[in-house]
Formats: sequence, C-alpha cells, structure tokens
Amino acid sequence: MMNRTLVGFIKKELIQALRDPRMKFIIFMAPIVEMTVFGIAISNEVKNIRLAALFTANDFVLRDVYERAIDGGWFIPARAAGETTQDPFELVRSGDADAVLVPPEGGFTRALGRGGAQLQLLVDATNVTQAQSVESYMKAIIADTLQADLGASPRPPPIEFDVRVLFNPSLDTAIFMVPGVMTMLMVLTTLILANIGIVREKEMGTFEMLISAPISKSEVIFGKTLPYVLIGMTNLPLLLAIAMLVFHVPLRGSLIALVAATLAFVCTTVAMGTLISTFCQNQQQASMASFLFMFPAIMFSGLIFPIENMPVSVQWLAFIDPLAHYLSLLRNIMLRGGDLRTSAWHICVLFILAAASAAASFRRFRTTLS
Amino acid sequence: MTDETVVEARELVVRYGDFTAVNKVSFSVRRGEIFGFLGANGAGKTTTIRVLCGVLPPTEGWVRVAGTGYEDGENAIKAKVGYMSQKFTLYNDLTVGENLDFTASLRKLDPGYYAKRRQELLDIISFGKGLDAFVQDLSGGTKQQVSLAAAMLHDPEIVFLDEPTAGVTPAGRVRFWKLIHRVAESGKTVFVTTHYMDEAEQCGRIALMREGRLVAMDSPAGLKASAFPEQVFEFEPLQELSFSRMGEFQNHEAFSFFEPYGHRFHAAAANPEAWRRWKPELEKTFCIRPIAPSLEDVFIRMVEDRP
Amino acid sequence: MTFAWPRAAAVARKEWFHIRRDPFTMTLALVMPLVMVVIYGVAIDFNVKNVRLSVSDSDQTQASRRLIDTFSSSGYFRVRRDFSPNQTVEDVVAERARAALIIPPQFEKDIWSGRTTRAQILLDGADNSTVVPVSQYVGAIQTLASERIAGADMTPPYDLRTRFLFNPELNSRWFIIPGVIVVIMAILSIFLTSMTVAREWENGSMELLLSTPVEPLEIIVGKAAPYAFLGALAVVFVYIIARAAFGVPFRGHIWVFGLGCLIFLLTYLAQGLFISIATKQQTLAMQFSMLTGMMPSVILSGFVFPIASMPKFFWYFTMLLPARWFMIISRHCFLEGSSFFELSVPFAALSLSCLGMTALAARRFKRTLE
Repeated sequence: MMNRTLVGFIKKELIQALRDPRMKFIIFMAPIVEMTVFGIAISNEVKNIRLAALFTANDFVLRDVYERAIDGGWFIPARAAGETTQDPFELVRSGDADAVLVPPEGGFTRALGRGGAQLQLLVDATNVTQAQSVESYMKAIIADTLQADLGASPRPPPIEFDVRVLFNPSLDTAIFMVPGVMTMLMVLTTLILANIGIVREKEMGTFEMLISAPISKSEVIFGKTLPYVLIGMTNLPLLLAIAMLVFHVPLRGSLIALVAATLAFVCTTVAMGTLISTFCQNQQQASMASFLFMFPAIMFSGLIFPIENMPVSVQWLAFIDPLAHYLSLLRNIMLRGGDLRTSAWHICVLFILAAASAAASFRRFRTTLS
Repeated sequence: MTDETVVEARELVVRYGDFTAVNKVSFSVRRGEIFGFLGANGAGKTTTIRVLCGVLPPTEGWVRVAGTGYEDGENAIKAKVGYMSQKFTLYNDLTVGENLDFTASLRKLDPGYYAKRRQELLDIISFGKGLDAFVQDLSGGTKQQVSLAAAMLHDPEIVFLDEPTAGVTPAGRVRFWKLIHRVAESGKTVFVTTHYMDEAEQCGRIALMREGRLVAMDSPAGLKASAFPEQVFEFEPLQELSFSRMGEFQNHEAFSFFEPYGHRFHAAAANPEAWRRWKPELEKTFCIRPIAPSLEDVFIRMVEDRP
Repeated sequence: MTFAWPRAAAVARKEWFHIRRDPFTMTLALVMPLVMVVIYGVAIDFNVKNVRLSVSDSDQTQASRRLIDTFSSSGYFRVRRDFSPNQTVEDVVAERARAALIIPPQFEKDIWSGRTTRAQILLDGADNSTVVPVSQYVGAIQTLASERIAGADMTPPYDLRTRFLFNPELNSRWFIIPGVIVVIMAILSIFLTSMTVAREWENGSMELLLSTPVEPLEIIVGKAAPYAFLGALAVVFVYIIARAAFGVPFRGHIWVFGLGCLIFLLTYLAQGLFISIATKQQTLAMQFSMLTGMMPSVILSGFVFPIASMPKFFWYFTMLLPARWFMIISRHCFLEGSSFFELSVPFAALSLSCLGMTALAARRFKRTLE
C-alpha cells in the first residue's frame, strides 16, 4: 500500500504541519500543559464546603460537630459563622455559606438530653452531587460526635459492609481523572487537523492541482490521513509520561495493548474527521463541524457524566463514541490490568467505526470537480 | 506542427445545475500547435480546460486527449497532460524543492529521472534561486515559471495553461512566452488561455468563446480578415476629445466599428459611400490612416460587442 | 484615536452580509446550542442508578436472599447473581459490573447469634463516577438491611432534617442547564469570530480593509456586533427551551441575566478576534480557540468540576476566566434569585475582563496595522 505517492504525500503534510513553530506548540506542548493543569485541577471530590453552625455558647455538642467537620478537612468555616442571629436561609442565599446547621429551640445539646432532637441542615443544592455528599458527610460526622461526646457506645450494626475500592484504594483523584483528560486531549489535535486538512486544500486552490495528477482516491485520502495518525500517536508517549511520572497513575496492563488501543483510537478520530471534512466547503465550516462532533463526544465519553445514568435510548450514542471506548480502554489497561477480552472488544468496535467512516469518506470523495 | 490531432472536443456541454457553462463546443488541436483560448471572464474557458485535463467530466459530449478519453477513466487523461491552473498551484509554505518533490511523487517519477529532469527544467527557466527558496518569497513571474516546470515534470505531450501570465510584469511575460515557444518547438502541444492580445498573436490558432459558445476559431490573420472584411483605420485625435463626443462618433452612420485604442481610435467604415462623404469632415478632427485590424478589435467586435 | 460609529456600522453591515450568505454558519450557530441543551437536558443525570452489581452468595439462606433483595429493590442496582467470589471480581475487571457483593457462608448464622456479620462490597475504582454515590447508597442500605433483616433498631438519637435549598428535588438539570448556557455561549462566540479575521487575512481582503481609514476599535466593534446579535438570539432560544421544556426555574431578574450575557458574549467575541488577528491563519486560530476558549470554559469554569475542589492555586487562577464569573451569575439568576447588587463581584470581574480583552484585541490590531 505504501507507494511513492503516499510517501511523498506524508512528507509534504508533515513538513507543512510541523514547519510553523506555533503549530508545533499546539501539537506537542499544549497537550502537555493542558494535561498537567487539568490533572491537577479537576476533581469530583467534594470538599472545601463552607459550613456555618448556629450554636449558642452552651450548645457544646453542636459546636463539637462543627469543629469536627472543619477538622475533617471537607468543610471550611463560612464567613460570619457561629453568630446565632443570622438568618440561616439568607446565609446560604447570599452565598456566604454552602451549608448551615440549625439547632432546635434551646440548642441541640439540650434537645438531645430530652430525646427526639431535631437538627436542621440547610444545603445549597445547586450542585446536586455536592449537596448529597454534604448530607452524607454530615450524618457521619454527627454520629461520630455523638459517640465521642455522649460516650454512647456505638451500636454496631448487625449487618456491616466492608467496602473496598478496587484499583484505587486510596481514592486518588488523579487516578480517577487522568485517563479521562488523556482521552480528551488525544482527540483535540487529530480530529481538527484531519478535518481541516482536505478542506484547506480546497480553499487554497491546491486541490485542483492535486487531482490533475493521475492519483487514486485512496492515495489522496490516506495521504491526507496517515500523517495525522502519526502525529496523533506521538502524543501518547508525552501524555503517558506525564500521567505516570507526575500523577503516578500506574500502568498495570501491557504497554503493547495500550499502543494498540491508541492506534485504534487515533485511526478512528482521524477517519471521522475526514468524513466530516467531506461535508464542508471551507475551514470555518470544518472547524464548527468538528466542534459539533467533539462536544457531545466528550460528554458521552463517560469522562464527566456517567454513561449508565443516561436513558437507554441515548446510551447507544455512547456506543458509537470513540472517546467512550478509548476511555474504557485506558481505564481497563492502566488501572484494571487489561482484561484481554474487554480490550479486544473495544478495539474491535473502534476499528469498525474507523472502517465505516473511511468507507463513507471514500464514497463521498471525488477526484474530479463537479 | 503536424497534422495529427491530439486534442479533440465534440459537442461538449458542461452544466452546473441550471447554468450552462459550456454549450456545444467542438474543436480540434494539432500536435505541436500553440492553441489560444480567448474570451471574457465566465465565458467557459476554464471549464473547458478542466474537462480536457481530466479533472471535470462533461455533462454531454466527448473529448479525446492524446488518444484517451473519459471512457478510459480520468486518470488516463491526467497521465498524458500537464496542467497549470488559474488559481495558484504551488504550496506557499513549502520550498521550491519540496514542491517539485511532491509533484514528482504525485506523478510517481523515478528518482533518477526526476533529478535529471528537474535540473533540466530549472535550467530552461533560468531559475536563479536555490531549491530551498520558499515559494511565497518568489516574484510573480518566477512563481509562474516554477509552476510551469512542475506541470512539465513528467514530460507530458500536452500542456494546458490557464492564464499563466496573469499578474506578471511585461518582461516576465516575454520570458514566459519564449519558454512556451521552446516547449512547442520540442514537439509538445500547448493549449493556453490569455487576456493579453500580444500573446494571442503568437498562437497558431485562436478560439474565441462567448457565454459558453465557440464564436470563432482561426489563425490570428484569418480571424482579423473574417472579423473585418471592411478597411480599418486608425484615428488619432488632433486635440483632446471629450467622452461625450466619442459617443457621438460611436453611433455615427459612417462607422460600423469605432472603439478607443489607447488614446487613439480604431474604426471600420460602414460603407464606402458614407465613408467618402464624411472623410473630409473627419479629417478636421483626426489624423486618419489605414491599418490592419488588431486582435483587440477582433475580440471587441466578436466577443464583447452587443449582438 | 477617534471612534466613528458610522464606520463601525459599515463594518458590521458587511459582516452581516457574510453571515447571511453562509447558511451553514447561521444554522450551526443557532442549531448547535439547541442541540446541546437538549442533549444535556435529556442525557445528563447525576443521580446514579442502574449500577450493575455482581453478587456472590455463599450462604444461600433466607437472610442472604433478603439482603440481595434489599439491593435490587432499592432501584439503584441491577443485580447479577450466583457467581463465585472470584467471578465477581472478574466481572468488575471485565467491566461487566461496577460493583460486587460477596456474602460470606456464615451470614445468617452470624446474624442470629448476635455477632456482627460482614459482607464485602467491592467497587470499581477505575470509574470515579460510581464510587462516591455507591458508597453513599451502601451506607443507607446497611441501615436498611440491619433493620429489616436483623430486626435491629437503627434509629439514631437525633433527627437530621435536610432542606435542599434552591433545588429541593435534586434535579440534575437545574444544575447543568444554567451552566450549559454559559459553555455554549463561550464556545459559540469564540468560534464565530476567531476564524473570520484569520480567513480575511488568508484571502487578502483584510489588507483592503486596513487600507481604509477605519480604526482598530471600529473593526472590533463592527465585527463583533453581528455575532453578538446571533449569540443573543441563541441565548434566547436556549432560555426558552430551558424554561419550557425542562422546567428550570428562573428566580432572578431577567435584565440582570441579560446584562451578564451581553458582557460575557462581548468578552469572548473580543477574545476570538484577538486570536484571529494574532494567528492570521485559520488552522492555528481554531486550535488556539480550543486551547484558550473551549477547554478552560468547560473544564475550569466550575461547570462540572467544582472550583472549591481544586487546589488553592486554581481558586485564584480561575478568576481570570470570564466563564467562571458568568457561571456564578447564570446559576444565581436561575436558582438563587440573586439581585444585581449581590452579584456585584462577578459583574465587576466580568466587566473588567471584557474591557481588558477588547483593549488587548484593539492594541493587537493597531500593532498589525503599523
């Protein structure tokens, strides 16, 4: 398949793509920077919740709850915390606090003594998962405080669950997030470049020159796509190095499997980018179209939102989303150790998606004008 | 120039939706000819060339280029021709060497042959800069010459040049046409479109296109003779002539043709009778002398005049 | 520097003609936001359910079966049962399940003999979206199971009443959609403008514009205006869908939201123009828009990943992002019903970045002219 024309094409594309230092920055440096920044920044973990508790001087249980919460590390003091005269609702509404503990009349401690104490927790529920986590944390903190303060021996539940988190027992945020970030960054460059590639030739006028030579459709299409597969693959060692060295994400499976998975993924994104480009007449359309594809692709990849929660009718969209498969592959190979059958399944789907996109591109592409 | 026909078009029609760009055009070109294609913008010249290069299959009609046609597959045609399109054909962000390398790979040229041929062509165009000169840094004329070299890299029998000297300096154009002559003399056929009449004069035969149709085809001399059976004169105004007065003369019964030519006018007499009557009067305003018609005159009368 | 409105208006008019004659861009600009809102609204749900639970029951007694029942009737889990403990682990490794329940052989016996019975729960730590919610469910089920199966009285000595403010039903859409509006607008506006100037540079028509006595600021305002109009139109559509189709409440003042939209739009439009003029090349402009526009506004703005969860450095770094501030404004206008005064800090920050970006773009234009 590799012939003179293809080799010449790849050379030309690579020269063009890599000649501009700004382009080199985008292709190589930017992913590194983004990977580092996002890997450090993003997390689903709920913490730094601004807590206020309206305890009076002698409500020592509530005060202990508050202090235990702050010490625990998930909560931080809200402004104007501890002043009982505040309207708790206003505290949350004005944005001074994310959560407020409101004791019953006379204080929580006294109510406990009389039995049937009611404690109100106001939570800003704008962020749904955060609100639920806050309630959850609070219950645990109150239970612990009661045990400590009232000396009540804890009633061990007759049925207890021993919860173990496999593959990431320390609940390291980076291990959760880094594969997702890697997926997202691998797609950015390849999809856009592949898309703009052919369309750019059309816009510049060199396309006419190209097709005036007796070359076949496959020579043009592969000539335009293989260089970007190459460029895309070079991102892997860069991102992998950062994942492993900076974020200490393990590679428990085989490197070969990872490379194969990445190859399948890059081929798919480049093929899809090429298909999109056959619908576009100029670069602006091409970039908007790529974006229109990429945004839902990221959303359905499972990086940010859990796929299983989506309505079944929508889940099939995740099935044809190459990012979803690659993210699964990364998690599978790096974190779970690389179950062969699962990896093979995902890689096969990727190749089928790539082949389908390529075939469709072939059908739409013409080596003549019209 | 032999008698062998290397390019033939018969009843060529090209339609884009409702718009007919080329409307039943037929012609043939002989080996070794320099064949010129003239016409207003949008007349269908570029479309016709594209069909002949294998790049645009016609809606109706057929073409025969160097013994092949679309029925043999467009690549059969593409292999035999060299094409320099109107839009720019080289990559600005690559060097001359890289551009030629790429063209060579598109044409699947043998490396040894390519090296020799490249040097040959660069010598022919007297390329002064190095192979690592960026195309965007070259002058317009040099760019066009390098484009021609690229189009000829695979030694095609026929070369199609679509307005190759657009935007080139007068000296550059002279140099370029010297090249074209050299190419034709070596046995190749050159098919060229141009807006410059001095270039058209150098063609063996010219075809005139107007709104998708071929309105005339002949040697320059033949065209002039058939376009102007009557005598043509050059009128040089003895004083400044205002535009309004010019309009007067254009509608004058003495003339069947009156057009500015630089600061002079070319005119053809409507009939000998009217001419004799008006001549003395006109001699007061103009210095009149008979000339042979120029291709400009032919062009204006045949292509741009309202019918 | 003189600023003439007629000249700016002329630039705007010409830009508007371009837009009108490019139906692709127009449709994309209006359809894309709608599509995104609908996708988000329908697909995104943070409330984890349908978690595939692989069960190994080594006890096979009434108690163990009731335990499994508690899980499956909770509505959160989809139970797959009757495997050996090893098989359940394999299930998780092979992505067939996200969690495993391993019931030991002495389960029922231990309950009746008063000992604390332990069942093991394994969670897939490679996929972060399920770990936290599932551990929360597990806690609730532990209490439920202890009560129902072992007949224990698990009522705590206090009653925690949680009031979820602003989003009492924990509707994920109410959280996501105000955020989606921000993200859509950021991306749309930066894309619309980032390529326009670059394209004009590439095809030479920019030089024509620069040869006229038009001032840089006039070019910016003139070019931004039609896209601001398009963007505003998109916002209106999205707002209508958010309110009518998804029932997201709007408790604030519409003019406050509108003002925020406007300033925000202008900021990103200016940023797009800046990128356009700095890169002068469509391919690069596109890539830089992704890098500085899309990625930060999706990842770092607080859209999904809370800023409070980020390392302290990012609390300050993200203050540079206009998207972060408008995210606050948007969410508060929809859910909290904040007044303009309460949102003065975000508005001030937003206006500052708008002015800053416009000035930057104007200066860059000026430098290019000279």
